[in-house]
Amino acid sequence: MRFYIIIAAIFWCGSVDSRKVRGISSSYKRFYRERKSFLCIDGSKIIPFEQVNDDYCDCEDGSDEPGTSACPRGRFYCTNLGFRPHYIPSSRVNDGICDCCDASDEYNSHAHCQNTCWNLGQRERAYVEGQMRTLDEGLRLKQQLIEEGVLLWREKQAQLRELQQVAEDLQIKLEEHRRRKHEADQLKEQTLKELQAGDSGLRHQNNTVTGIFQLLDSNKDGSITVDEVKAKVVLVHDEERVLSENEALGLLGGGHQMDVTKFQHTLWGVLTRGDSVKIKDAHGAQGTLVGEDPYLMAADRAAEWMATKLKKVEEAYETVNMEISDLQKKLAIDYGTDWEFLFLNGQCYKLKVYEYTYTLCPFNQVTQKNTAGTEVSLGVWGMWAGTPKNLYNQMIYESGEPCWQGGSRSTTVTLTCGTETALRSAKEPSKCQYIMDFQTPVACQPVLKQRGIHSEL
Amino acid sequence: MATFSERMAPVLILWLAVCLSGTWAVDKGNFKTCDQSAFCKRQRALKPGESPYRALLETMELTNTRLTLQLINDNNKVRLLLELYRLQGNITRVKINELKPLKPRYEVPDVLVREPPTEPLSLLSQDENGVVLALGAESQRVIVSARPFRLDIMEGRDVLMSLNSRGLLAFEHLRMRKDTFSYKVTSTVASVWDNIKRVFSSQADPEAEKKDEADSANQAETTKEEEEKAEDGMWEETFKSHSDSKPNGPSAVSLDFSLPGVEHVYGIPEHADTLRLKTTDNGDPYRLYNLDVFQYELYNPMALYGAVPVMLAHNAKRTTGIFWLNAAETWVDISSNTAGKTVFGKMLDYVQGSSETPQTDVRWISESGIIDVFIMLGPTPKDVFSQYASLTGTQSFPPLASLGYHQCRWNYNDQEDVQAVDAGFDEHDIPYDFIWLDIEHTDGKRYFTWDPHKFATPKEMLQGIMDKKRKMVAIVDPHIKVDSNYKIHNEIRSRGFYIKNKDGGDYEGWCWPGSAGYPDFTRADMRAWWASMFSYDQYEGSMENLYTWNDMNEPSVFNGPEVTMHKDAVHGAWEHRDVHNLYGFYVQMATTEGLIQRSGGVERPFVLTRAFFAGSQRYGAVWTGDNAAEWDHLKISIPMCLSLGLVGISFCGADVGGFFKSPSTELLVRWYQTGAYQPFFRAHAHLDTPRREPWLFGPENTALIREAVRQRYTFLPYWYQQFYHTYRSGEPVMRPLWVEYPQDPATFALDDEFLIGQDLLVHPVTEEGARGVTAYLPGKDEVWYDVHTFQKHNGAQNLYIPVTMSSIPVFQRGGSIIPRKLRVRRSSTCMEHDPYTLYVALNPKRTAEGELYIDDGHTFNYEKKEFIHRKLSFINNSLTSINLAPDAQFTTRSWIERVVILGASKPSKVTLKTADGQESLIEFDFDASMSVLTLRKPSMNVGDDWTVVLQ
Repeated sequence: MRFYIIIAAIFWCGSVDSRKVRGISSSYKRFYRERKSFLCIDGSKIIPFEQVNDDYCDCEDGSDEPGTSACPRGRFYCTNLGFRPHYIPSSRVNDGICDCCDASDEYNSHAHCQNTCWNLGQRERAYVEGQMRTLDEGLRLKQQLIEEGVLLWREKQAQLRELQQVAEDLQIKLEEHRRRKHEADQLKEQTLKELQAGDSGLRHQNNTVTGIFQLLDSNKDGSITVDEVKAKVVLVHDEERVLSENEALGLLGGGHQMDVTKFQHTLWGVLTRGDSVKIKDAHGAQGTLVGEDPYLMAADRAAEWMATKLKKVEEAYETVNMEISDLQKKLAIDYGTDWEFLFLNGQCYKLKVYEYTYTLCPFNQVTQKNTAGTEVSLGVWGMWAGTPKNLYNQMIYESGEPCWQGGSRSTTVTLTCGTETALRSAKEPSKCQYIMDFQTPVACQPVLKQRGIHSEL
Repeated sequence: MATFSERMAPVLILWLAVCLSGTWAVDKGNFKTCDQSAFCKRQRALKPGESPYRALLETMELTNTRLTLQLINDNNKVRLLLELYRLQGNITRVKINELKPLKPRYEVPDVLVREPPTEPLSLLSQDENGVVLALGAESQRVIVSARPFRLDIMEGRDVLMSLNSRGLLAFEHLRMRKDTFSYKVTSTVASVWDNIKRVFSSQADPEAEKKDEADSANQAETTKEEEEKAEDGMWEETFKSHSDSKPNGPSAVSLDFSLPGVEHVYGIPEHADTLRLKTTDNGDPYRLYNLDVFQYELYNPMALYGAVPVMLAHNAKRTTGIFWLNAAETWVDISSNTAGKTVFGKMLDYVQGSSETPQTDVRWISESGIIDVFIMLGPTPKDVFSQYASLTGTQSFPPLASLGYHQCRWNYNDQEDVQAVDAGFDEHDIPYDFIWLDIEHTDGKRYFTWDPHKFATPKEMLQGIMDKKRKMVAIVDPHIKVDSNYKIHNEIRSRGFYIKNKDGGDYEGWCWPGSAGYPDFTRADMRAWWASMFSYDQYEGSMENLYTWNDMNEPSVFNGPEVTMHKDAVHGAWEHRDVHNLYGFYVQMATTEGLIQRSGGVERPFVLTRAFFAGSQRYGAVWTGDNAAEWDHLKISIPMCLSLGLVGISFCGADVGGFFKSPSTELLVRWYQTGAYQPFFRAHAHLDTPRREPWLFGPENTALIREAVRQRYTFLPYWYQQFYHTYRSGEPVMRPLWVEYPQDPATFALDDEFLIGQDLLVHPVTEEGARGVTAYLPGKDEVWYDVHTFQKHNGAQNLYIPVTMSSIPVFQRGGSIIPRKLRVRRSSTCMEHDPYTLYVALNPKRTAEGELYIDDGHTFNYEKKEFIHRKLSFINNSLTSINLAPDAQFTTRSWIERVVILGASKPSKVTLKTADGQESLIEFDFDASMSVLTLRKPSMNVGDDWTVVLQ
């Protein structure tokens, strides 16, 4: 250890000439040129130059103690040769923790700091190179995806137009079918009416006093007998059972015969009331008549056929319209300036974190499934929520499953540049508020590349 | 945490069913009122002035150290034994037990630090009506009156305190279950059995026969009464769906105390109420019964997580204290003859001279045990603190780092989260010392374990924290998951260490892990085993920078009566009823012992507890439990911690930001500003609340919070010295103003401002949208300096202070010297070797004094005299440091970088004289507008003798 200190000391002494004042960057050297006195950088005070870095804070702005921990508002410059230079708060000078990779912040502490700048620099350069490669590759893929996006967009637009055409066609077809069904219905109605008109003569006859009397008077002798009643009259509630002698007698008013005049005043009334007895098979009569009519049957079948066809067309029309509205909704979403995010719609990406599997279906929804198989919605597509500079680096999914203490689950997805499209992390920092890291080439920004080059310099 | 709800659903549903009424307030229906607590109802129904107790003077025995005397209850002829001791340090102890109890009654062990040393008592006079004894050397006497029994403690002609003056002494003797309406059949058998037993016992014990005769003679009279009473829950009691089997029947004890001349009483924490206790005539008494109260309500006498049965009584002439050593459920009634009077009424009385003396009457009621009461006779507040400290010990001296800022949340999700939060503090340049892990860090709520995925490499995590010179606290609760694959459970079960239910099986209740057992911490062998579990080889993944938090140790039992344990659960020979309020005390005791043992007795422990009892101060810190993010909760943190400080527990804090709910940014900032000036400074938040690390509220608020935390760190030397002082003296660190200004009635009820030690006065801003606060600056001849602006204000005035969001009104007393460290770093440990700045605040006599205490900050070596303790005094324009502990040895690299003298005049020159006789000139700077003299870099080592002379 001592060996390192000596080495460091030698190194330090060697550089003293060029940088006598500890903790400043070369651009600040002009403030610390050795004179009799030192003017605090904020101009608030003049102090003797010996009081610079003498471990006592004289300047309000901390500028007299760039190399010690004396000033609460001071900062210390880590030169970090071989790595990135940066400032640390003065409070980290000699606090026993190595902050500068060149170990310059711990010049008077028990911390055994090593100069790790070269290693860090190496790693940083490798990292930046990797990032560069990723960015290059990402941007290339992005270009591809943009092109694909444009194609996809056009394709979707074409699909939309096509669907709209289909819808129009269906509309025409629909009207045609409606007309035809209407016609078929009318035909059926008419046939039925005609048939009923023909039938009604018969029914009318059947319904007159004499008609019924004649119907009952099987032997046509002008009077109804017990046997004749038993043959033609049944109980309303039990058509199967033949009336008994006494029951028939009762209907005939106790006599064994009944003429038409008596009939009109007694049994006719009972039959027309229809709550106890009726003429056998009286109600089947019309159905049998209509059912047997071939014209009506044909008209009925035609109407039914047209109704089925219309229903099919209606369904098709509805489906197409739904597709159109889905597609329109899809196309109404902001897919970036070049529709580069369009391809994500319809895809889903999974990630397993501990006992949970998270699924992100971009522009659609986010879910979480536990090992027991219970699935919970963590939100449905809400909006882009990136920075004003880049709107497209953050997505919000909201209104997921409700939470215990009110509110509902929501997910914020941050998009980062990568050569693959994949879900990289999923966390729940606060209850019911999820954050995800989603990597995709389309999130790659050329701006980042420029920044990367800067940092490499 | 993801869908915590799914995993915790069974527990939560249960818990919610038990605790939640669906609103943001305590469901009072879950907790008993006095009326619902059979013994309280019975006892409270007794009317004053009808005491059946008579002292049998002929039974009096007086030895050098104690007086014993029998009391008889003339109604039932049961005899009690009174013991009276004069204890060293102006304390009188009165013990009352049954002369011959059916079985022993519980006497609280382990709370007193030792058997209190006694002083001689002497008989002054005696006749058939009573006895007069001299109490020690002062002119104090105790008068024992015989009929009815009564004790009066006098000094000169003043009565300081009277016991049983209202005749509310009541002692429910243990008895066999008698014939009652519902128990006729069984008790017939029982009485046959009794008779058989009597035959045998009377042969062995003629005394018992006599008593039995008396009993049976009495029985005729009392039977009717007892039958009625039996229905009042003497032998069984049901609350909600829980029944308490009460196998020992009624066993309550009660005694009244009168305090002539007293209008202000304090203490008996824990309650969410004002500092000055209120009278309880029109409501429930203050209740002491450790309970996990979900979303507690403010300004009422309901019981909370801890109980310290100590009350202080104060007037301008004297401070006294009552320590009621009983660990069972206890209720305290307070009434006052002036309580109802308006200020005008009181003035009228005063002017007309017609009034009776003001008097406060207090009555203590406990469910079981004995009467064992320590009457601390002051006369000053500080005397009472030292008297109480001589009984139960002082605040343990905490590691310095634990006085820094603590960052907690339920929960930091995983190691990555911990690392990110740690890094966040560095990125935003906010210091902190401890990061905390709540229950989710464990493997399925199995304490002493780590979640195998989220905290897979705890040592790596702890090392990362250690590299930043910071520490961690992980929770260890006393409920143990019943799981045969869990080592801790298996060990406890196989050793028979669990508390038993009334039927003899291991008691099981519901808590975080689901079904859980509760180790019997009242057993010394259990505690020793528990302590051994903290050794590094037992507690896997632990390291020396991992400390412990004991939560839920009331104990909390989600499905138990009042969310706690059944009173008929069994701890060996005793019922849970007898020991309830001690459980949390023992849990922390055992844990603290574990942390001490794991380092071979070298390192100081740090253990936070939610439940506590008298004496808990010896084992670490307490916090005020699950508060809420509301302005009133911020306000109440002051009286709650002040009340705890008065009864010895100085290391107190409230969850900064509020536990339940989410604070507004303004409330959060104000809470940091308040918490920075309270002893235990920890932010905490409920699992369901949004994140609230200090940098999440915009740069402006981050800066405000940073500033508050930094102020805390600059004052750490003062805090540390205050804790050393309380460790030595028992005086509270955070104290009410009346403690320092006992003769100034204007201070008696103040609880929106407080003192830290005697030199810092803090009036935090606790009002929403505040534009100013009015602080009372005490002391007729005092001056106070604003610590931020150095502006000087006179004492004995109400000072209006305009405030902005950055204001924390704090004043340094003129006449004091406060050492600070202004180089605020990442953690207190990083500041160890930093230089000091001394703030010398001159009083009108142009003098000041203060102290400086330094040691290694974390070991027990201070017990081996390894520390620096210096007295700093400014007098006759000379500032001198002298050694207060010449026999102590410690060296430090710390030096004095600056001396700031407030209220100074401009000197012509300043000279430093060191011990070796060297003299040197010191540069200085004088600000005439504020009269502030700053000495630049005198540079002497703080451990040295030196004098600075202003000329």
